[in-house]
Amino acid sequence: MARDDSDEEYVAPGSPGELSDDKKELSDSDNNQEEEDEDLQDEDNDEDDDDEIVIAKRTRAKSKATTAISDLRGANGYSWEDEYQRSWDVVKDNEGQSLESIIQSMIEARKKKIMKNSSGSFQRGIIRTLIVIVDGSQTMLEKDLRPTRFLMTLTYLVDFIVEFFDQNPISQMGIVLMRNGVATLISEVSSSPQYHLDNIRHVKARQHNKFEPKGDPSLQNSLEMARSLLMYNFGNNSTTNNNGGESSKNSKEILILFGALFTSDPGDIHHTINNLIKDDIKVKIIGLSAQVAICQEIVRRTNKLTSDTSSCYGVIMNEQHYKELLLDCVIPLPITIEESLKQVKQNRGVALIKMGFPSKIQLTTNRTSLDWPQLCACHPTQGSEGSKNNLLINDNPGKSLVDGGGGNGGGGSIGGGSNGNGINPYIGYQCPQCSAKVCHLPTICPICGLMLILSTHLARSYHHLVPLAAYKEVPIAKSYKSKYCYGCLLLFPNGIDDLESIDKLLNRTSSRYRCPKCSNDFCIDCDVFVHETLHNCPGCDSM
Amino acid sequence: MDAISDNVFNDLDTVETVSDDPSLLTVILDISPGSWFQLRDQISIVEVTKSLLVFLNAHLSLNNSNQVAFIVSSPVGSKFLYPSPVHGTEEQRNKPTLITMNMYRQFRVVDEAVLQDLNTELEQIRNNKKSYSAVSTLAGALSMALTYTHRMLTLDQSIRTTTQSAINNTTNSQHHHNSGGTGNSNGSGHSSQLSSTNVKSRILVVSADDTDDLKYIPIMNSIFAAQKIKTSIDVAKLGAKNSSYLQQASDATNGVYLKIEDPKGLIQVLSSAFFIEPSVRPLFILPTNSNVNYRASCFVTGKSVDLGYVCSICLCIMSLIPTDGKCPTCDSNFDARIIAQLKRAPAVVPKKRRKVVSTAPPITP
Repeated sequence: MARDDSDEEYVAPGSPGELSDDKKELSDSDNNQEEEDEDLQDEDNDEDDDDEIVIAKRTRAKSKATTAISDLRGANGYSWEDEYQRSWDVVKDNEGQSLESIIQSMIEARKKKIMKNSSGSFQRGIIRTLIVIVDGSQTMLEKDLRPTRFLMTLTYLVDFIVEFFDQNPISQMGIVLMRNGVATLISEVSSSPQYHLDNIRHVKARQHNKFEPKGDPSLQNSLEMARSLLMYNFGNNSTTNNNGGESSKNSKEILILFGALFTSDPGDIHHTINNLIKDDIKVKIIGLSAQVAICQEIVRRTNKLTSDTSSCYGVIMNEQHYKELLLDCVIPLPITIEESLKQVKQNRGVALIKMGFPSKIQLTTNRTSLDWPQLCACHPTQGSEGSKNNLLINDNPGKSLVDGGGGNGGGGSIGGGSNGNGINPYIGYQCPQCSAKVCHLPTICPICGLMLILSTHLARSYHHLVPLAAYKEVPIAKSYKSKYCYGCLLLFPNGIDDLESIDKLLNRTSSRYRCPKCSNDFCIDCDVFVHETLHNCPGCDSM
Repeated sequence: MDAISDNVFNDLDTVETVSDDPSLLTVILDISPGSWFQLRDQISIVEVTKSLLVFLNAHLSLNNSNQVAFIVSSPVGSKFLYPSPVHGTEEQRNKPTLITMNMYRQFRVVDEAVLQDLNTELEQIRNNKKSYSAVSTLAGALSMALTYTHRMLTLDQSIRTTTQSAINNTTNSQHHHNSGGTGNSNGSGHSSQLSSTNVKSRILVVSADDTDDLKYIPIMNSIFAAQKIKTSIDVAKLGAKNSSYLQQASDATNGVYLKIEDPKGLIQVLSSAFFIEPSVRPLFILPTNSNVNYRASCFVTGKSVDLGYVCSICLCIMSLIPTDGKCPTCDSNFDARIIAQLKRAPAVVPKKRRKVVSTAPPITP
């Protein structure tokens, strides 16, 4: 730890006023974590009105600052302060009542989970390009997350990738590893989840010779690499005029998973931050140990926040919290108020993107003419030095068994019709503009730069724009109209005759959740399924 | 010796577990009157229903724990015919049945429910004015099929009520069931083994609708949900035209799409092409039509587009740049500069792009 501290000070002189901030930072960091704990609880409110919440948080932080240390003891959520959890203690074997309360709490928890996901329909920059920077420095070998910080990060990253491409089908991602003072490109910017998953697996497999955590992290190096990746793999005609205005159609984002408390950079990181701001790149950081002043500054300046950085800079408290913070980054960023104001001021509208919907070409032998194998235009580096690793992985026959589910969830497999494997060797697509052949979608045509997608990719995002209204719980009554769930025909319990006993049995529910539009009743399972997976109300659509 | 015999038993075991997976078959029959009227020379609903009942019975007879469901979709609304929530009441049971009592019980229950409810449904269509407006409810029927499938995949089949399901879920999530507790303990112990059984599922859509007035977004959402729960959507399309949405549905979910030219031979197609169990699907080359038209259709003109413009806010697809510079669906103004850029002569744009691509390789290592 002593080494870490000194390294932090090595950076600090670079920024005026940071030294004085440093001490405050240390004491504040605990406060911020506590704040996040509370954030978790009222997450559902978070999206309606930003201003109010910002004020509320600030006052909360102030009141806490005075009693910070005494409060800490009572605060739950720190994994090192948790009591040993014995899951069997949760079930109290007193009466039937306790069992009922467990069921109740479980239902509530699931309900909350849906509520978190449902949100108002506001503008989002839907087409995202995200670079994930993973810390691969020595500190990632710490075992406070099991088995190590690094391996857990990679495990969560796999979930993140699947979820990200599921929610943002026409987005792109790249992965950079921050290791031994330099930035290493793990996964080039691509929109194929399968490609990233393969590369992550590759990193995992090479833990003992090539990719084990080592050395110091360099934020500047990796940010610069991410910036150049973003600038060159970016949407459609944006490189021709990249001075603002593009943000509404194509958001450039960087997500840093940062385990260390310091950075050792070759130059002035503030130059890099200025460049990031100039290119309109937004940085989010998840810290694995504590808040670091330079991270806070990066986040604050690139997101144009005034003081409260908790929305973009989170420090994990435990493994669960880590996962939550990571999966929060899946949701597309709302367009900030400032940006929309800017748009109005400059009288600029939203972007219109030219896209190609390529036709499928398939090798067929049943026709009179035999089609010969054709090369695709999107893998010009095939067989070169850099692509050897990927080829090795692709040859592995066990691969599709391991992640059949992951690939299925992602966007890559929809056109191919193949199970799990993102790229089907027998199916290609032809660019409608230049007739180049590509082997996977969505992509940018390597010849003419046209964005090529399937209409189904667009359709995958439509549910963000037309969110399904949340079902409302039916209040307890003596009798109900519905006897069974409209979706799955599960029988509901009967009404409660003795209404006076409700006070005693506070945890009773009607088990019915009613769609406000079609007034059909659904069970909790269907409610969750409909809102999280289907995004269609079976009742409304069959009227 | 030990090794040899062990191997033999192991092999037998794995074979058995694979073949014993129960499977759920959900049939969705589209009975919108207009389309069947078009087909009146070739086949009637009665004949199709007969074939489907044979199909369902065949599926039931394959495995003792196989399940079926039957959903009917009509302009009046989509409805479960089997399993019927109202069926099994005394009143229903006393009605004169359409099926001979000597039939194998499981067949009889299904056939009875389907035939009776189908009759009432057709009756309703005749009396309902709404049926002439002919809005397809196939998306709703698909959604219902998926919610039911989801229940069957995640829950124990013996569970009939929400309370039971909640109890079952708690016991599962806690990995613990109260042994000294109530009478439920037996059931839940049983279910914890069963609840994640490898129930396989598929959905068969039988439609004669040529109008293609399906709601695009709900159908697409259903397709994605089906992908996620690994359920194939098979489509038997009668009538004159292919339905591109249904084609996409089966193509994206690894299902079978067949346009049936001669409806009289429906039973043959059902018992061959559509009879491939989900568990053996990876082993077959599916008899499906692979030339799927994935092309998008323009939101304004309705024509299919291969080179179009997309609004970045609502992702609506346009074949041409709207003259007023406004998105037709979400009403947001487009950036005038970008429109001007897009309107430039086509020769200019590719040239600029090529420049970008050519500088890219040195940067990517």
